[in-house]
Amino acid sequence: MSGWFYKVLYPCDKVRDFMYDYLEEKLPTATSIRFHLHLNGCPECRAYLFLYKKAADAKAFRKEYPAPDAFLASTLDFLEKEGIVETGDDPQADQESW
Amino acid sequence: MSGNGPSRAIANFEEINSPEFLAQLLAKGPSGQRAFARMVQGTHDRFLGFIRRQLASPDECMEVLQEVYLAVHKGLPGFAGKSKFTTWVFSLAHHKICDRISDRDRRHQELTESGEAALSTEASGTERWDGITAWDAPPDRVSARNAVEGLIGKAIEALPAQARQVYQLRDVEGMSGEESAEVMGITPDNVRVQLHRARKQIVEWVQEKMNGVGNADEPRAGRQGNGK
Repeated sequence: MSGWFYKVLYPCDKVRDFMYDYLEEKLPTATSIRFHLHLNGCPECRAYLFLYKKAADAKAFRKEYPAPDAFLASTLDFLEKEGIVETGDDPQADQESW
Repeated sequence: MSGNGPSRAIANFEEINSPEFLAQLLAKGPSGQRAFARMVQGTHDRFLGFIRRQLASPDECMEVLQEVYLAVHKGLPGFAGKSKFTTWVFSLAHHKICDRISDRDRRHQELTESGEAALSTEASGTERWDGITAWDAPPDRVSARNAVEGLIGKAIEALPAQARQVYQLRDVEGMSGEESAEVMGITPDNVRVQLHRARKQIVEWVQEKMNGVGNADEPRAGRQGNGK
């Protein structure tokens, strides 16, 4: 499709608002057809969708702030002083119940 | 580590959310204490990452995480298991973060009223960005990521606090809309709206930087306010 026709189907703003449902695969069929026709003719919305997908797939950022090495040790020390954790190696004690 | 590692292998999120692990956590005495230590060992990185996105000072983040674990210990006997254990802990972390932001906003307001705001802003700004530099990924890791992902990382920093929390729970932690809603204390519809808005803000921020508008090295200080 060329020229302005794809914008008659849906304006760019509307197509961008459909992107959430598109990724959730919740677009109704008729809407989905218009959505794709618009994308076929609109490089700006294709670029937008590319970035939107990247933004929605952000599991790589989970480890963005790894804890410093000493942090776990100091947290466990703190909790041990509070009587909340037991960090000693004592496999026998696992059998205890009191 | 200072030689105080728990006696068993690190527990992962799946194991931690199992009824068997919950029973271990609820056990009294050394058995329960060791399970708690394994839970801390298996979760501290993820929870710290979550807190770190909302609060900038490393010391403050560590304090908050310790408060979260104390709250977990205190609330554990009453934990009904209606949600996943880790969802409940995220919820506790969310509330502790909100408390910190409210306290900071209130302190800032008090300082503003007493005419000391300029000094405070300067000091907290330094702490914030120094903290990020100190804890950020090593330069070689940063350079290995592609440019778009690098910009998205900065765009996440620029999100308002509440949008960033929703985004982090759904798109970073991979929680469902319902779980995120439970953690945030909002409706799933609200999660949907805020998540879409957050993604759009990220896309538009990245596009702005890719088009050469503004300075990509200086994200807006999105984490300063609570964004409500």
